Amino acid sequence: MGRLASVALVALVILGGLLGPADAQTKDDTVVYAFQSDVQNWDPPNSVLRESIILGYHVFDHLAVRDLKTNRVVPHLATSWKALDDTTWELKLRRDARFHDGTKFTARDVKATFDRVLNPENKLTARGNHAKIKSIEVVDDYSVQFKTDGPYPLFVERLTAQVMQSEKVIKEKGHEWMQDNPVGTGPYKLLKWNKKQEHLLVRNDDYWGSKPSFKYVRIRIIPETATQIAELISGGVDVIKAVPPDQMDVINKSGQARTSTSPILRTAMLQLDQAARSGPNPFTDRRVRQVANLAVDVDAIIKFVLNGLGDRVATPVNPMAFGFDPGLKPYKQDLDRAKKLLAEAGYPNGIDVRFRTGLEIVEPGLKQTNEAIVADLAKVGIRTQQNYIGEVGPYVNQVKDGKAGPMFNWSWGYYSVFDADAILFDVLHCGEAYSYYCNKELDALTDAGRSTLDQKKRAEIYVKAQKILFEDAAYLFKWGLRGVWGISNRVNYEAPRDEIDRMFIVTPRKK
Amino acid sequence: MRRYLFRQLVQLAVVVVGISILAFAILHVLGDPVLLLLPQNAGKEEFERYRKLLGLDQPLYVQYWKFSSGALQGDFGKSWYADTPAFRLVLERMPPTIYLTLAGLLVALLIALPLGILAALKRHSFVDTLCTAVAVAGQAMPIFWLGIMLIIIFAVQFRALPASGYGTWKHFLMPAFTLGAFLAPITMRLVRSGVIEVMNMEYIKTARAKGVGERMVVAKHAFRNACIPVITVLGLQFGQLLGGAIVTETVFAWPGVATLTVESIRNQDFPVVQCAVVLLALIIVAVNFIVDMIVGFIDPRIRVGA
Amino acid sequence: MKTAGAGNEVALKNLAAAVALDATATRASLRRLWRLKWGVAAAVVILMIVGSAVLAPWVATHDPLSVNIRNRLAPPAWMDGGTPRHLLGTDQVGRDLLSRVIYGGRISLAVGTSAVLISASIGVLMGLGAGYFGSRVDWTIMTLVNVMLTFPFVLLALAVIAVLGPSLMNMIIVLGVADWPLYTRVIRAETMALREREFILAGRALGMSHLRIMFRQIFPNLVSLIVVIATLQVARVIILESFLSFLGLGIQPPTPAWGNMLGEGRLYMLNSWWIAAFPGLAIFVTTLAINLMGNALRDWLDPHMKL
Repeated sequence: MGRLASVALVALVILGGLLGPADAQTKDDTVVYAFQSDVQNWDPPNSVLRESIILGYHVFDHLAVRDLKTNRVVPHLATSWKALDDTTWELKLRRDARFHDGTKFTARDVKATFDRVLNPENKLTARGNHAKIKSIEVVDDYSVQFKTDGPYPLFVERLTAQVMQSEKVIKEKGHEWMQDNPVGTGPYKLLKWNKKQEHLLVRNDDYWGSKPSFKYVRIRIIPETATQIAELISGGVDVIKAVPPDQMDVINKSGQARTSTSPILRTAMLQLDQAARSGPNPFTDRRVRQVANLAVDVDAIIKFVLNGLGDRVATPVNPMAFGFDPGLKPYKQDLDRAKKLLAEAGYPNGIDVRFRTGLEIVEPGLKQTNEAIVADLAKVGIRTQQNYIGEVGPYVNQVKDGKAGPMFNWSWGYYSVFDADAILFDVLHCGEAYSYYCNKELDALTDAGRSTLDQKKRAEIYVKAQKILFEDAAYLFKWGLRGVWGISNRVNYEAPRDEIDRMFIVTPRKK
Repeated sequence: MRRYLFRQLVQLAVVVVGISILAFAILHVLGDPVLLLLPQNAGKEEFERYRKLLGLDQPLYVQYWKFSSGALQGDFGKSWYADTPAFRLVLERMPPTIYLTLAGLLVALLIALPLGILAALKRHSFVDTLCTAVAVAGQAMPIFWLGIMLIIIFAVQFRALPASGYGTWKHFLMPAFTLGAFLAPITMRLVRSGVIEVMNMEYIKTARAKGVGERMVVAKHAFRNACIPVITVLGLQFGQLLGGAIVTETVFAWPGVATLTVESIRNQDFPVVQCAVVLLALIIVAVNFIVDMIVGFIDPRIRVGA
Repeated sequence: MKTAGAGNEVALKNLAAAVALDATATRASLRRLWRLKWGVAAAVVILMIVGSAVLAPWVATHDPLSVNIRNRLAPPAWMDGGTPRHLLGTDQVGRDLLSRVIYGGRISLAVGTSAVLISASIGVLMGLGAGYFGSRVDWTIMTLVNVMLTFPFVLLALAVIAVLGPSLMNMIIVLGVADWPLYTRVIRAETMALREREFILAGRALGMSHLRIMFRQIFPNLVSLIVVIATLQVARVIILESFLSFLGLGIQPPTPAWGNMLGEGRLYMLNSWWIAAFPGLAIFVTTLAINLMGNALRDWLDPHMKL
C-alpha cells in the first residue's frame, strides 16, 4: 500500500508543479480568437498569410484604414493626403503616436519602412504590392512625400496594406530580430508567443486611438475545425472564422454562440499551370482548361455544399472589387462538349493530373467542395490524384517556388484592397510568385490599368481583361467567398467585410 | 548485484546504439537525406553544400558516425519550418507528453489495481467475468474514438471540461482518462493473473494454515509480491503507454511531442521527426533500464536467472 | 461359421464401443464449444465481416466513390429524412455510407492479414533461428528484437511513413515489418524448450539436417501458438491502420477506410454523427470479435498457453 501511495504522491507533486504557470489574466478581461495555422514570423511585410495581416492590425498601425461602415478609406496614422501631381503624393502625419518602445512616430519611420520593403535585396513578400512607389522623402518630422513610377491609382487604397515599423528597430535590431519581436504603434503589444500554440497580446494603455475593451487577446492555434467549433460552443474560444456552412446550425442551436456571414473580397479558384512553371502539362492547352471549366457544375456546388454561401464569378475578379464586369456570364456545365473538346485536344482517353490541396484556413468547406469538383472532373476524363499538404506555410512556399502545378487550390484576399488590380497583378501577371498564368495581352492591360488615374478608362480596361481571362479559361473559376464567422454570445462582434478580424473593437455583451 | 547492473548497462548501451542505427537507417537509407533534411525552397547551392556536409559520397558508416556524434551533442539539425534547432523544439514539447503519460499511468493503476485484485479474489464469479468482459471490450475500443466521444459529451454537451489544450488540471482529466482507459484493460488482466499466481503459492497457503486473516494474507503477502510482475510489465508497457499518449495527444490537441511529430511529418520537417523518434526511444530505454534495476533489486531470482 | 459369428459379435461390440466413445468425444467437444460460446459467436461475426468484404461488389448497394452532392448528409434510413436507399445515410459529398463501410472493411482486413502474414513469416523464421542455433545467432537476433520492441509500434510506423509517404503498399510494408519481434520472442522461447526434447535429439542422432528438424519437427508444434498470436495481432494492426488513416497518414481519401472516414466525419459529429459513428463502430466490433475469437482459439487449442 505504501508503495502505491508514494507513487501517487510523486505523480501529484509533478502534476502540481506544472500547474504553476497559471495565466495572469482572467476570463473577463481576455478575448480569445482562433487561428487554424500559425504565422512563421511577426514581420508582416515578410509574409503573405492572412493571419499575418490580421496580427499586423493589432500590434501595428497603418497610414490609412478602411472604415467598415462606409467602406471608404479614412486617415489613421496619416491625417491627410494630397496628390501634388500625377506622380507625387504628400501625406501629413499624426503627432501623438508612439511606438511600444517609447519612440515617437515620425516621417522617418515611414521612409524607413517603405525603403526596407522596396529594397529588392531584402526579398520581402510585400514588395510586389508597392512596386509602383519609386521613392519616399521626408519633408519634415510629420510630412512625407511619395514619388510613384507613373500615375498610381491605387496609392491611397494600398496605404491600408502596409504597417508602419520603427526606423530605430530596423536600423539597430535588424531583420532577424524583427521576425520574432514586433514593435508597432498599435492598440495591442505582443506579450508572449508560444510558437504554433498561442499568442498573448496585452493592451497598449498609451495608445493614441480608442482603447480596446479587452485587456488581453489570446490567439490560440487550433488546426482542427471540429475542435474549433467544440471550443466555441464550450466557451473556450470567442471568435472563429471559416466555419463550414453545414456546421452553422450546430453553432446557432447551441445557445452559446451564433454565426455571422458576410461577402468578402476573397475569391477561390483552382490554378491551372498554363505557364508550365512546374513543367509540361495538359493545361498549357487552352482547350483542356476550358474542358475543366465546362466539366464542373459550380452552381450546384455552391447551392448544395456551401448552402448558397458563395457568389459565382466568371473570372477571379470579385463582385466587390472595382472593375468587376457584371455582364460577363460564367461557364455553364456541359459534359458532352467537354468530352469532345478533350478528345479534340488530343486526349481521347482522358488525362491524369496531380491535384495539390491544403487546409481550409480561409475557404470554408474546402475538402467537400474539392471532392465534388474532383468527381465532376472525373466524369469527363480528368482523373486527379490528391496531394494534401497539412500546413499553410509549406503549402504557400510550394506555390511560390513554382512546384505546385499542374493544378492546386488557391484563393486570394486582395490584401483587402477593393480593386481588380489587386488580383490581376499578383495572381495572373506573368512572372509573379503566385501566378501560374502568362499572357502578354493580359499583362499589357494590367499594366495600363494601374498607370492611369482615369477611373472610367480603368473600368473599360478591366472589362477587356476579364473577357480575355474568361475566353482563355485562365484557371478553373469558382466563386467569391462568403466568410462565415462563429462568435460567442459573450461578446459583440460581426463578420468584417474586408476579412480582417479586429479584436480591438470587440466588446463584452451585457447579459 | 553489481554483475547484474553491469550486464544491464551493457544491454542498455547495445540497445541505444541499435536505436541510433535504426533512426539513421530510416532517414538516410530509405530516403534521400538531403531532400529530407533541407527546406523545400533551399537553393541548389544549399543542396550541394549539404551534400558535402553530410558526406553523402562517403561510405555509410562514416555518415553514421557523423550523425551519431552530432546527436550525442544534441545536434539534430535545424527544423527548417521554425528555424530553431530540432533538439530544442522537441525538448520544449517533452514535459506535456511526460505529464500526460504519468497521469495516464496513474489513472490506469487506479482502475486496474482494484479491479484486478477484486477479480482475482472472486475468481470465476460474476464479478470476475464482468471485469474480464470490460477488459476485453476496452482492448478493442479504438481510443481515438473514445477521446472524441468524451469531448462531445463533457465539453460540448455538458460544458464541464475544456475541449482541448493545456494549462489547468481540468485540461488533464479527459486525456488522462483516455490514456488510462487504453492501458487499464491489459494492466487489469496482468494484475489479476499476477495475484492469482501468488495466491496459489506455498507461503500463502502456509499463512492461511497458520490462521492469519484472509485480509491480512492479501494485504501483506499477496499484494506485495504480485506487484513485482505488475511493475515489470508496466515498465515494459511504458513503450505502449507512450504509443497511447501519441494517439491521445492528437485527439486533444495536446502540445506535446506527439503532435509535434505528426505536424512535422505533415510539414515534411524531417530533422524534427528524427530527433523526436530518437529521444522518445531513449526515454523508453531509460525507463526499461530503471525498471529492470528496481525489479532486480527486489527479487533476487531475476538477478540470478537468465 | 462359428468363427465368423464370433468375429461379428466382437466387431459389433467394438463398433458399439467406438460409437459410444465417439458420442462422448463429440459431447465433450460440444461442451468445450459451449464454454467458448463467445468465441464461436465472434467467429460467426468475423465470417460475416470477411464475407461482406470479399463479396463487396455484390453486397454493397452503391459505388463507394460515387459522389452526389444533391443528396449529401442524408441521415440513416430509420431517422427523419432518411430513405431505405441509403440504410446508413450518406456522407458529406453524398456517397452511401453502408457501401463505404463495407469497402472500408476490405481495406482493413486486407491490410491486417497481409501485414500479419509478413510479420509472422519474418518473426517465426527469426524465432526459430534464434531458439534453435543459440549463442551468436541468438544474441544478434535478440538484440535486434529488443531494439525494435523499444520503439512503440505507433512511433516506428509514423517515422517510416514520414519518409516513404502514405499509401496502401507502404502501410502494409511498415506494419508488417514493424511487428515481427513480437513473434520472435515467443517462438524463440518455445523452440528452446522443444530443442531439448527427445525426438529432436533423436533426429539429430539420425543425421537430419538442421533445416529439416526446424521445419519438420519443431515448427508443427508451434502452429497453434502462431495462429493465436497472429489472430490477436490482426486486431492490433487494424486499429493501428485506422489510427494512421485517421491522422491522414494512411489510406488517402477518397478511398474508403474506416480510419479516414472517422477522421473526415469528426467535423460532423455534432449534427451528421452517422458519418463517424458507423466506421468507429465497425472498428470496435471487428476488433472485439477478433480478440474474442483469438482468446477462444487459445483456450481451444491449448488452455495452458502462456499468452
